[in-house]
Amino acid sequence: MVGRKSLDALIRLYALQSMLLALLAFVLAEGEQHFVLAGMALLLLKGVLIPRYLFWLLERLGVSHEVESYLSIPLSLLLGGVLVGVGFRVGSAFVLEGARLPEAVPVALSLILLGMLSMVSRKKAVTQVLGFLALENGVFLLALAETHGLPLFIELGVALDAFAAVVLAGVLISRIRAIFDHIDTARMRDLKG
Amino acid sequence: MLYLLLLLPLLPALHALREREAGRLASSTAAGALLSLGLALLVQNQAAGPLRLDGVGLFYLLLTDLLFALVALYARAYFQATKDREAWRFYAAGNLFLFAVHGAYLAHNLGLLWIFVEGSTLASALLVYHKGGTRALEATWKYLMLGSVGIALGLIGVILLYALLGGATLDWQEARVLVREANPTQLQLAFAFLLVGFGTKVGLFPLHAWLPDAHSEAPSPASALLSGTLLNVAFYALLRYVALLGSAGLFDFAAGLLQGFGLASLLAAGFFLFVQRDYKRLLAYSSMEHMGLAAYGLGLGVPWLAMLHTLFHSLAKTAAFLSAGNLLLAYQSKLIARVGAVQRVWPATAGLLLLSLLTLAGLPPFGLFYTEFQALFRSSPLSMGLYLLGLLGAFAGLLWPLSRMVFGEGDGMSFETSPRSRTLVVVPAVLVGLSLLLGLFPPVAVVERLAEVLAWKL
Repeated sequence: MVGRKSLDALIRLYALQSMLLALLAFVLAEGEQHFVLAGMALLLLKGVLIPRYLFWLLERLGVSHEVESYLSIPLSLLLGGVLVGVGFRVGSAFVLEGARLPEAVPVALSLILLGMLSMVSRKKAVTQVLGFLALENGVFLLALAETHGLPLFIELGVALDAFAAVVLAGVLISRIRAIFDHIDTARMRDLKG
Repeated sequence: MLYLLLLLPLLPALHALREREAGRLASSTAAGALLSLGLALLVQNQAAGPLRLDGVGLFYLLLTDLLFALVALYARAYFQATKDREAWRFYAAGNLFLFAVHGAYLAHNLGLLWIFVEGSTLASALLVYHKGGTRALEATWKYLMLGSVGIALGLIGVILLYALLGGATLDWQEARVLVREANPTQLQLAFAFLLVGFGTKVGLFPLHAWLPDAHSEAPSPASALLSGTLLNVAFYALLRYVALLGSAGLFDFAAGLLQGFGLASLLAAGFFLFVQRDYKRLLAYSSMEHMGLAAYGLGLGVPWLAMLHTLFHSLAKTAAFLSAGNLLLAYQSKLIARVGAVQRVWPATAGLLLLSLLTLAGLPPFGLFYTEFQALFRSSPLSMGLYLLGLLGAFAGLLWPLSRMVFGEGDGMSFETSPRSRTLVVVPAVLVGLSLLLGLFPPVAVVERLAEVLAWKL
């Protein structure tokens, strides 16, 4: 995710990642109904609806699909690698007794850190949203790995919040485009101190 | 009944989607908030599903509903004076916000609390944005991104805690029994995430970056809601988690972190106050100072003191932001330098601003003096020094620009006309009066009783 130059590829990667997560939820569900339901909701919301919304938004705004970063690609890859290393190094401290899928904990941590890296290193507002979504997926993976997954109504509530946040961000991005004629958050710097 | 209380604010929100006339919306919003206030008093200590209204929840719910009703009335006059034809946005977003806040105070479940706190972030982002403009857009974007990341870290804490409870429950009462069996080191890890997550929203240094922007760019009635009610929601979550840690016998760990963050926020805010040229940012940093003080009070192990501090702060800060709104109406500028001689051109507003800022600076006989003194009295010698230094800095940083605005002449001052709606003065006056009354007779016994559910040991 940190090395890609095209936004379309990023969104598709996110959709793929969400679908894989949903698959994992199905596997871990062992036929228990409410986990299957949570997995389906995830699949629909994060695998289909959010990516479609983002594509629609890019189309409507007519901005270039190129990812602009403060960092060069080699440097972001290097930093990404370092963060994954950190995720794996400290991961063991995060594995709780009775964790369901201890191997996934460092992966989840790395995903969270990579999401943060994309949020701070990218200039375009859409890419920051994608970073946040990756972070959110990391948190979901952590929940799957540590526990039997959160209770269904909590899971749905969390997903709903994420969806509302993305829609709200989309509205703001449209407004940024309309007022500034770009969606470059690096150039929004009136507020200081 | 609890579900009714939860959903009540949605009625005026729906009303706002159809009705565009601000006057009627203000009435339905205020009526809704006052109705919830009455209902909350009736249903205290009831439970239904994952909802329960205990003492602490009731305390903050009453405070929020009261402030919200008053701000709704003020907003009607305010938007009339700015000739804002889109005031309905404020009422729609405001009632959504109130719904999320009701949810947070009613939820007796760690997960549900998280969902509603995040919901309140989203709804209040709409409040900050209001009609837009470049600066509001920037502030909203920053708020949404920082707020969401912060609260996502909080969710990690919730997940770790849930796992530590054996995935058995998310109910607060059951959690407080189960948590005694949990691994203490890992519990500390979970709490660190929770503190960073909710601390971002409380505005603790160094996680406060969104706060001054959002508070200064939002329309003034919305700023009042942000400082007076939004910060409390996240603080309430911290209160709950600290109590949980207390039941596990780890209060000392939490106390160290809270005192550290609290003092750091106090000292940092004192510094930032000095370099401000914008009076709404000044008030925003003062919120950071007071939430830091509340966190410090909580770290001293006196939850009722922290609650009382947030109560006094909410009343005084709401009054201050509303008076600042009056200044903005009259002078059309947020710069301190462009405001002068307020005491001559609009004496009522000058008086209210003066009183609310004297309260915020912690002068007797106002309530914040009482709580700040109580906290000082309980501090260890080392933190006492830092605490006094921070208070002194904040005191001077707040009162010096104020005296220039009220009594000075102001360079390049651009006084337009003062709107003469009485509501603009009456609402902050009610708040200042209430704050003075409660300062003279601090309701310690009442708050202590309400805070009983937070006792460190169960």
